[in-house]
Amino acid sequence: MRIDQREAILRLVPATFAYAFLQVALRFKDDADLARRLKARDPHVMSTLYERYGRLAYSLIFRVVRDASTAEDLVQETFLRVWNRAQSFDEQRGALGPWILTVARNRAIDHVRSAEGRMLSGALELDRLENPKLFSDLEDSALSIDRARRLKAAFEKLTPQQRTVIEMAYYEGLSQTEMAERMKQPLGTVKTWVRTALKTLREELTEAMLA
Amino acid sequence: MTCEDLKDGFELYSLGLCDAEERSEIAAHLERGCDTCQKNLRGALALNAAMFASAPSVRPRRRLRRRVVEGFGVRKAGWGWLWALAAACMAAIAVWLSIQERRRTTELAEIRQNLIEVSSERDRLAQAFNFFNQPGTRQVNFGSAQPRPPRGNVFVNSRLGVLLIAGNLPPLGPGRTYEMWVIPKGGAPVPAGLFQSAGDGSAMHLLNGPMDVASLGAVAVSVEPQAGSRAPTTTPIIVAAL
Repeated sequence: MRIDQREAILRLVPATFAYAFLQVALRFKDDADLARRLKARDPHVMSTLYERYGRLAYSLIFRVVRDASTAEDLVQETFLRVWNRAQSFDEQRGALGPWILTVARNRAIDHVRSAEGRMLSGALELDRLENPKLFSDLEDSALSIDRARRLKAAFEKLTPQQRTVIEMAYYEGLSQTEMAERMKQPLGTVKTWVRTALKTLREELTEAMLA
Repeated sequence: MTCEDLKDGFELYSLGLCDAEERSEIAAHLERGCDTCQKNLRGALALNAAMFASAPSVRPRRRLRRRVVEGFGVRKAGWGWLWALAAACMAAIAVWLSIQERRRTTELAEIRQNLIEVSSERDRLAQAFNFFNQPGTRQVNFGSAQPRPPRGNVFVNSRLGVLLIAGNLPPLGPGRTYEMWVIPKGGAPVPAGLFQSAGDGSAMHLLNGPMDVASLGAVAVSVEPQAGSRAPTTTPIIVAAL
């Protein structure tokens, strides 16, 4: 690379950082405004909320239930639940996106569990774990495209067994005991796969956030 | 258990997939307000969210948006009226273009017809000019003695035929036409073609083809029915004796 090219690139670096920072700041500001309107029971906010998170929620739910019609029902249920529980959401510190996706995933897992007649008591647990208060001071930008891409790349690097257990946890809602039964593997082995895989993903996400 | 023992369990805990023992341990730490565990939980929720967001993107059907939003009593100001307006404008433009097209087609047909007529007239004039220039063309004048008679000239040429140029022709009644006759010496009139006059009463008619001029006695014109006659049915209005 020639020196003048390098200098030109170096000159662009601060501008790039400033732009990225501005994007994140605007996103936070927008989400905070959405959350404020949500708490104020402004029904028009649902249109913007759907524009921003509808496709993500639908994709996630569809990944779990594998049926378009059911996924549509569950997306509607997700947004209704967000509307009903928004009063507990902290609009200043809360991360709207992660909360909505958690609600969406839990609705889908709850549906699959109900359909399969397993762990009906787990519904209460899921309900507790999507409490809006839990999503305060969270890194909202975990949903950025760049981080999703890096996480996906890290996921692809996992061993096949590790990928399988992670998919079972996130998209099928199976406990480690259920995974062991389905894979016909000792529980200890499955636990090792799960923890190793999660550790790898966690480290990748941390690096992505620091980058 | 210590916070360090629990640090790898927060993702499963937040997914609702922890074993009962580990779940109660983590819950106890969180209820105590343990900072390390609170931080670990936030990290786990962020990882979970990123994992959720990395699900393969699928575009939902458009109706889902309407279904979700209208569930909250919100009706998006539709753009239907705009489409209707656009459709009405398009229809109006289509009608206008159709009328313009029809008008242009009519004009074009008229122009084409005029062109054909002009072209035909030009051909006839060229033929007449050719007629005049040919050696052996004989000219006979007629009608000059009458007060307001049809007047004009007959040109005969043994190779080209007979050319009649006339003026002051009387107007024709409906269903009538002029018919030219060539009359051999001592013979009966022979039909030599039908023609019409122009608005000013002038006409030019050519009987094309070789002709025995020596045996030709006269050229005459009479008013006949539209389809013509085999022999004159009215008194000839022009008789040019050769």
